[in-house]
Amino acid sequence: MMVANQAGASQPFRETSSRGLFGRASETRLGALLIIASIVVPVLFGSSYWLHILLLVNLYVVVAICQNLLLADAGQVSFGQGAVFGVAAYTVGIVSGLNGYPLGLGLVAGLAAGIVLGLLFALPALRVKGFYLGFVTIAAATVMPEMLNAFSEVTNGINGIGLRVRWLRQPWILGVSPLALAIMTLSLGTLFAHNFLRRTAVGRLMRVAASSPETALTLGYRPGVVRSLAFLIAAAGTSLAGVLYGPLLGFLSPDAFHFDLSIFFFFAVIVGGSGRLMGPLVGTAILYLVPNVLLVDLVEYRLVGYGVTALLIMLLFPDGVVGTIAKRIRLRSASTKRAVLSSQPLLAMRAGQELIRQVPENGLAVKVCGARRRYGQVLALDGVNLEVGRNTIHGLVGPNGSGKTTLLNILSGLSRLDGGTISVFGTKAGTLSASDIAKLGVSRTFQTPRIFEDLTVWENLQLGLDANRGPKNPALIAACEAIGRPLADRRPDELPHAQRRMLELLRCIATGPRLLFLDEPAAGLSGEERGRFAELLRRLRDELDLTVVLVEHDLALVWKLADEITVLDAGRVVESGSPDKVVGNPTVQKLFWGERDA
Amino acid sequence: MDEFFIIVIRGIGIGAVYSLVAISFNVVYQSSGILNFAQGHMLILGGVFGSMFLPPDAGVLTWLALLIAAGLSIALLMVVQGYITLLPLKSSVEQHSWLITTLAVSVIISALILITKGPFALVVRDPFPPFRAFGIETPAAYAIAPILAIAACLGLGWFHRHTLTGLAMSAISQDLEAARAAGIRVRRLQILSFAISGLIVGAAGFGVGAILSISPSSPINYVLNGFVAAVIGGIGSNAGALVGGAMVGVLSMWAAYNVGGEYQNAVSLALLVVILMARPQGLFGRVLARQV
Repeated sequence: MMVANQAGASQPFRETSSRGLFGRASETRLGALLIIASIVVPVLFGSSYWLHILLLVNLYVVVAICQNLLLADAGQVSFGQGAVFGVAAYTVGIVSGLNGYPLGLGLVAGLAAGIVLGLLFALPALRVKGFYLGFVTIAAATVMPEMLNAFSEVTNGINGIGLRVRWLRQPWILGVSPLALAIMTLSLGTLFAHNFLRRTAVGRLMRVAASSPETALTLGYRPGVVRSLAFLIAAAGTSLAGVLYGPLLGFLSPDAFHFDLSIFFFFAVIVGGSGRLMGPLVGTAILYLVPNVLLVDLVEYRLVGYGVTALLIMLLFPDGVVGTIAKRIRLRSASTKRAVLSSQPLLAMRAGQELIRQVPENGLAVKVCGARRRYGQVLALDGVNLEVGRNTIHGLVGPNGSGKTTLLNILSGLSRLDGGTISVFGTKAGTLSASDIAKLGVSRTFQTPRIFEDLTVWENLQLGLDANRGPKNPALIAACEAIGRPLADRRPDELPHAQRRMLELLRCIATGPRLLFLDEPAAGLSGEERGRFAELLRRLRDELDLTVVLVEHDLALVWKLADEITVLDAGRVVESGSPDKVVGNPTVQKLFWGERDA
Repeated sequence: MDEFFIIVIRGIGIGAVYSLVAISFNVVYQSSGILNFAQGHMLILGGVFGSMFLPPDAGVLTWLALLIAAGLSIALLMVVQGYITLLPLKSSVEQHSWLITTLAVSVIISALILITKGPFALVVRDPFPPFRAFGIETPAAYAIAPILAIAACLGLGWFHRHTLTGLAMSAISQDLEAARAAGIRVRRLQILSFAISGLIVGAAGFGVGAILSISPSSPINYVLNGFVAAVIGGIGSNAGALVGGAMVGVLSMWAAYNVGGEYQNAVSLALLVVILMARPQGLFGRVLARQV
């Protein structure tokens, strides 16, 4: 059995997924080397042609990294990043090129203008997602160049804008011009920022909101806000690249920012490998250099080339170039050793370990009055009353379809009542959103555990710690760290199946909840695991003063563990009370054990 | 006053084109949850078909025969596209792959039109004489478009209610897993929905080619306005698409007359953002836009 002090002993496994040739850290380092080389090498050889092309590629890489963040981390499809880029570039041209204001002012104005366009994407993201946003962004990318022509008095129309800033292009440090240095710094900075963001709470949250919005809700966050934030971050990065475009090219023309440019950025991410840190670098290099440098005579076939390449990549190598290579390497080096998640550190917590006990409160944790919920013709809940005392374990049992999960969904705010009231810790919760209910100290698990495969086991657990808002309990946090840190490099798919459920439960506990809803937590656990699970729940109740509502089919476990039991059948409460009282009810006996006495 | 009638008549006419695109979006969406980004390109290919094969002296029968031929050709093309689009969805967990594959197809079609036909707009002759309404002479295609849109809406309604295949398709749109469990061959019906969708836009592109802008860069306008029409009506609702299309058509015609032709798309974009913020399920939508 694993114990708390094994954190050190498990060091040797630390070299699978995230490390190795294509781990995050080394991918970033390799990418950084490529970026530096792409600028330093042409400077050394004095090739201004290649320097110019590679500087442009680096600007596009910045946009593609932002697109990658948006697509892979936040799960948002934007076909309009070229418009953000173009608005930022054009604003610099209008402010500093046409009107002769200082370049500094132009750069700031360009950045602001790009972010404002990003807001146009971010606002609908609060309400809708997926293809809706895809169309909004396509529309913006189509309209933007039309507006450049429509407002030709401001933008100089098809004549374009000249923007020559001589000092920016003069050799400066070691023969590298300030402009080249700025672009290199931006490109490196964006790459590192993406890597850094993934290790922060915000970055983890983005990925959760993308793949399971209801988990984000039950952790107390609003997925719409997270999506909007992603659009704004991407707009800021894209605008930073956009404002340098004019000074680099020396000329701005409305033709440069057609819809094709947005498509280019999107396909660069797909070709490189969506989600891979180095994907945008490789994708941009392939999609830009191959048609524009190697096949320059066939330039009219460029768009067909983009389309066919993207189609083939999607059909044959959906992981993209970098993703496919990384997968091969990972398959070869994957550890066959199972990862093991131990709840021992939590069990080892004792009152003596300066536990901050929640102030003992009176009253009910949950009160449900006359709850009704209809799905089409089916009454899932038909006047349910339920009272759960604080600091108790309450079992909710009943046959399939009796309304247990519906009740949990309503109590956690994922579903609404048609009639009746619910209150949680004395607060009327019937109209609260799931994220607001979570903020009352409610946490829940799902029948199919919400585990995030592209996060490590430890990161999955950290999601809970990120959402821990109340007074922090140092012993609880220490226990979570002792459990999770040894698995900092292990993927959830390396865990035995039953432990995925445990991981979700631990994530819920890590949020420091006062009330825990568990939906069939013991399914798939072995007898020994069930014993430890029961022990864990008792400890949570006794040491952390938690209230637990448990939906479970294992009746023996429920009767052994619960302080009170409520039996539901066909949306109605059959019996509620102490285990002894409930088991004595003849209707309950008939429901679970058949009519053996009849 | 004349201007008012021009805006309304032509707005409803061009709006019916957007309705047709919206209805063709709905057909594919209902069976597969896919919104085909290349739908406007298929419409324009119908127009390209007209510019290539419609003889200058064509009579009504020739025109009708070619209308059906255009519809069938585009239907065939969309069967191929549907197959390609659905291919990665079999095993891959990448649910967004269709966004990319349909976009890639749209890019390829635009580029191929550019390479073979050049950047300028193609002309399709209107074989019917113009009609007079409220004292304004109007090209016949402005009347053909609403006829086709209403025919598509009614035809689909009949198909979904009175044929076994149509009923099976409705079942898929309500619960794909249950339909599959009931033994419905989901993949085959999804491909069929691509074909029906192609039949609608292909015939529409040919039938109203005279009032379409047929060029490599124009399809995206029809994709966008068709989508806005579908969102206003509520995605999945064909009757809603008729109303939504008319609204978008009249509004963009008004913008063209009073603000300037280059603002048509900007107005549609503004309308889309307002609708999504205020009522994402659309005016007649049964299916709620996924909000969480």
